[in-house]
Amino acid sequence: MKRREFLRFAALSVLFSGFYKNIFAKEPPVLAVAEGKDYAAITRNAVAALGGIGKFVKKGNVVVVKPNIGWDRRPEYAATTHPAVIKAIIEDCLEAGAKKVKVFDNTCNDSRRCYENSGINAALKGLKNVELKYVESERFKNTKINGVFLKEWELYDEALLADVLINMPIAKHHNLTRLTLGLKNIMGIMGGNRGYIHRNIDEALSDMNAFVKTHLTIIDATRILLNHGPQGGNLNDVKVLNKVIASTDIVAADAFATTLFGLNPQDISTTVAAYKRGLGEMNLNKIKVIKA
Amino acid sequence: MKITLSRLSQLIFLAVFLILFVNTEYRGKDEISIAINSFFRANPLIIVSYLLAVKTITLLLVPGILMLVFSVLLGRFFCGWICPLGTIIDLVTDKIKKTIPIGLLKTKFKYYFLFTLLFAALFNVNISGIFDPIAILVRALTFFLYPLLGYTAKAGWTGLYYVAGENRDYVAPVYTFLKDYILPFRETFYPLAVISFVFFLFIVFLERYEKRNWCKNLCPLGTLLGLLGSFALFKRIPSILCKDCRECKTTCPTGFDEEVFQKQDCILCMDCRLKCKFKRVKFTIKLPFVGKAPAISAAKSKKTPVVIGRRIFLGGLLSGFFVSRVFSFQLPSGQERCLRPPGVSDEKEFLKKCVRCGECIKVCLRSALYPALFQTGAYGIFMPVIIPRLGYCEYNCNLCGQVCPTGAIPNLPLSQKKKSIIGVAVFDKNHCLPYAKKINCLVCEEHCPIPEKAIRFELSGEKDYNGKQIVLKKPYVIDELCTGCGICENKCPLEGKSAIEVFPAAKNKSRS
Repeated sequence: MKRREFLRFAALSVLFSGFYKNIFAKEPPVLAVAEGKDYAAITRNAVAALGGIGKFVKKGNVVVVKPNIGWDRRPEYAATTHPAVIKAIIEDCLEAGAKKVKVFDNTCNDSRRCYENSGINAALKGLKNVELKYVESERFKNTKINGVFLKEWELYDEALLADVLINMPIAKHHNLTRLTLGLKNIMGIMGGNRGYIHRNIDEALSDMNAFVKTHLTIIDATRILLNHGPQGGNLNDVKVLNKVIASTDIVAADAFATTLFGLNPQDISTTVAAYKRGLGEMNLNKIKVIKA
Repeated sequence: MKITLSRLSQLIFLAVFLILFVNTEYRGKDEISIAINSFFRANPLIIVSYLLAVKTITLLLVPGILMLVFSVLLGRFFCGWICPLGTIIDLVTDKIKKTIPIGLLKTKFKYYFLFTLLFAALFNVNISGIFDPIAILVRALTFFLYPLLGYTAKAGWTGLYYVAGENRDYVAPVYTFLKDYILPFRETFYPLAVISFVFFLFIVFLERYEKRNWCKNLCPLGTLLGLLGSFALFKRIPSILCKDCRECKTTCPTGFDEEVFQKQDCILCMDCRLKCKFKRVKFTIKLPFVGKAPAISAAKSKKTPVVIGRRIFLGGLLSGFFVSRVFSFQLPSGQERCLRPPGVSDEKEFLKKCVRCGECIKVCLRSALYPALFQTGAYGIFMPVIIPRLGYCEYNCNLCGQVCPTGAIPNLPLSQKKKSIIGVAVFDKNHCLPYAKKINCLVCEEHCPIPEKAIRFELSGEKDYNGKQIVLKKPYVIDELCTGCGICENKCPLEGKSAIEVFPAAKNKSRS
């Protein structure tokens, strides 16, 4: 094949592939928003609006629920995912016949204090077939990611081996990425010197989320942190919204959650980068929002 | 095999000691039991040294004062009934073949040694903790044996994972139980681990020469208790070896090196009473000046310092003075990164109060505290310093102040501890990514636990080195808010040296 011929072929194939995408336009991503004071109930409603947990969790599945419990802060400080929201999802999974639900986070503060103070220990006490464990260093496996910025990294194997991965961030302010939502919460399955990815966080998070498929994203917006994130510590920065967002499209979930802060999805470069990679939809007019 | 009451008591206290040791750990509660450091707070050597050095009294050490009073009344019962190190010696000594006693130790060496320590304390250099038996034992455990146990268990557990993979989960409950109740949470390795262990081994090694060699001839705590006990009302009779039997010479672990019973060495184990074939031996309370003076006065041995000789007193004073000067040198370079636990406001006071017991180091949530070697001078050996690159001070934790037996680390309420200053963070702009490489990072800012953020940043529009227009977030420290907890230095993602480092700060800054 000559060079010119090759280039022509390449150009055509690029055109055609874009064209092809437009013809078979996908169904718009669906996103459910539930509002109310009973956090367990609205969580269940949001999932039910997407067709119920049974759509994602089949009998005998091993489910990993990845909340944000990375900070040594009590629930009211809006630094960690609300335990009632986490518990509701876990109970749903068990009802759908999950063999085991694993819950963990690679924390920033001391993990014992985080698990205790975030309320997760108390919330999950006594639940059968639920495994709430601290991350174990030997389970981080050096994994080829072959991304734009991340070529390889130590990832937590329980998250990679799970049949279903449910991502449960809390919507918060963050000074580097402006907000931290679903895309950023996946950082919690990374080991090693995670701070390294801050130097190119948009590409790194796109790499991670392209590599690790999240089946369901539940954003806890029961209360959100408007400033001094991601760990806060000041109740004046907390705004109670009593909302829970659920979607199978992680970018859509992030994009919608952005509006809760009075920002546009275009303002958040991590969302934009993930959208450009084709990881999901960020245009709000192309997302089907269901009030649950 | 009859078990004496004293042996039973020893075993119970050894168990208590080990349980307290293992529970010197965060277990999901912000408060830790006040009993955790009992063995140090009820320790007369520590209290006497504290009083001499600090020259004030602290309520924390009231149990030690009680122990002093009881020892004056009863004698050295602590050594034979309570001391965990003594118990360990008793448990192993019979397995060690004895040669002949060391000549040097058969002199008044132990008195010189004790008085050197006490006078050094009086001259503001309190080094008793280095030689305190309980501290020696806790350090050997904390810095060496316990981490080794944790590491071994963890290695086995990890190894099992590589062999069995996910099937390991079937035995997980066992490991989880061990992890929750017995093993350390983190496998931390400590400097001075070997030295701490050698101290302990040396004491065991001394058993080659005679029974309870350390206790009888060296231990400053035992010597002090013996001095107090020489006034005790609780007496053993007869006070010499009986001519027809002499069995007590072999039975007694400490008190019968000579014909005459050495009251200040007797640890009241009462083995002699149990084993006496003639039922002659009794321990009774004898009030002074009642009835006849005991026969001991006639056969007063040269070794009985019922009243401490002038020579020992002056010798101790002199050597204590020398020791205090020798230990006072500090290299300024060591001070540059001398970060003490939270709440320590005055380095000089801290040096006088710290027992070097290792409790704070053991309890530290994030393994931020490490025993210093000569960083803060010979005086500061074994004392805790924070090494932020290895661990930082957790914002919501004040456990170290809770377990410190002397208040060297003050037990501050959490709200106050959060404001207490360890040091202040300083950026190194030659390393910090936004300054050195025009790359945004902000990991330190994200982790800063102060609600108002002691690390903030300014936005600056710049061209990066490829000519691309970027918005740089350049971090800076608000000195008035920074407490020097070190989480920024700990989490800085630069390999090797951190681009933000905590240095000692003026401690008397007022904080609203």
